[in-house]
Amino acid sequence: MTELPSIRVGPSRSPASGPQEDKLPSSEPSVSDPAEVEATHGPSVFRVENLFFYYGDHLALRDITLDIRPREITSLIGPSGCGKTTFIRCLNRLNDLIPGTRLEGRVEFDGESLYGPDVRAIELRRRIGMVFQKPNPFPKSIYENVALAPRMNRMKGNLDDVVEESLVRAALWDEVKDKLRASAFSLSGGQQQRLCIARAIAVRPEVILMDEPCSALDPVATFRIEELMEDLKNDYTIVIVTHNMQQAARVSDRTAFFTVDTSQGGRTGVMVEIGATSKIFTAPSDQRTEDYITGRFG
Amino acid sequence: MTKTRRLFHEELQDLTHDVARLGALVRQAIEAGTAAFLAGDLRDAEAVIVGDRAIDQLAHSVESRVSDLLARQQPMAADLRLLLSALRISYAMERMGDNMVNVVKGTRRLYPYLLEPPIQDVISRMHEQAVAQLDVAITAFVERDVNRATALEDMDDAMDHLQHELFRLLFHTHATDDAAIQTAVQVGLLGRYFERIADLTVTIGERVRYMVTGEFPFEEG
Repeated sequence: MTELPSIRVGPSRSPASGPQEDKLPSSEPSVSDPAEVEATHGPSVFRVENLFFYYGDHLALRDITLDIRPREITSLIGPSGCGKTTFIRCLNRLNDLIPGTRLEGRVEFDGESLYGPDVRAIELRRRIGMVFQKPNPFPKSIYENVALAPRMNRMKGNLDDVVEESLVRAALWDEVKDKLRASAFSLSGGQQQRLCIARAIAVRPEVILMDEPCSALDPVATFRIEELMEDLKNDYTIVIVTHNMQQAARVSDRTAFFTVDTSQGGRTGVMVEIGATSKIFTAPSDQRTEDYITGRFG
Repeated sequence: MTKTRRLFHEELQDLTHDVARLGALVRQAIEAGTAAFLAGDLRDAEAVIVGDRAIDQLAHSVESRVSDLLARQQPMAADLRLLLSALRISYAMERMGDNMVNVVKGTRRLYPYLLEPPIQDVISRMHEQAVAQLDVAITAFVERDVNRATALEDMDDAMDHLQHELFRLLFHTHATDDAAIQTAVQVGLLGRYFERIADLTVTIGERVRYMVTGEFPFEEG
């Protein structure tokens, strides 16, 4: 089993905001009281505290603190280069594969440190699925694309059933049930993306991370994926990075707005606010969010 | 900012301008309508009724542009709140115009009788109060001024007092002939129309507060 390379998880450093002890709770905009959130939503799936992320010397994300709640869709929006993709990749340690990267702060997944020494990559990737911008099916049959991971994970149960159930959940079954042995590449872009979602849910993850899952799709395929997300959130926690604000407004329960901060030299991603999607899109708390979502920025 | 988005924001400005213009038309209708009523001038009353069509047309134009911008631009945040407020405020102004039409229709019903000076005086003050409130409402909208918007609630108390005063005067008249009854009914209704016009300025104030702050001030009430 692959060990993830060790990561230095240093004490949180807050050059931007000074010592955390001095901060009043209200100075963290829209980050609700954790106890209150837990009472209404159950424990957070992810709890990120004072996350700093570096590519070499470059600080890519500064002091990110947020919670991801269970069985909700959380969308991350913001201009290019604001670090939203980097951030979502911190949630399944995908950045570990990039040499020279470094993470400081704390990321908890189901109450355990995600960057702890005992965390194993394969187990982690089983529990946290990911769907990418471009559909990336394996060069294999439709069936094999879905069956591969459950087989590798030696999941119990009939593999045919797992494949069918996953394809049904991904709203693809009716379109492919008669050609399961056909190459995955024979499918349209939208179908391939739903196949990738079926592949992700075949191992019954707890979380599905989506990095601009619809940006390569036409509007009809996009709406199908959005419908699917709505359906999937009954069982899964979904975090989606999207460039499409209307998509974030349509599908997500909560929205986090990230932006690029240049005030300290360089271009660093910061989170401006996180809150209920209806609040963020009708009456955001921060002027930077307002300017971005009304198109007065950039 | 992209060109499309810049045009969108220009359209929002035009819309703001037209809502203010709608307010100015209603203001004219209140002035002209009250003068026609007090003078018992049927021709001037007719002109106010005809002029109401321009108010309706402009209000409908605002509505159709709001619906077009909602569909094509998917506005967010302050832009969204501006559009929703423009819709509600223009509707409130259109209703004020309708109330003024009701006032001038009373001119025909009372013709050729003229009202007693004390009643004329109260009506004149009601009209001044309505115009003052409308001015504050329009300014609050154009200048996005929450303080002015909130002040409308207090201003409206003055209109309520005037309405009570009007009713008191009516009950002091002991005449019971047909003309006196007709006059009392018309004047009673007229008090109600002015009171509605003033109420609608309070509604505009609430919408301005929502537009600026994003909070619903009307939720409790």
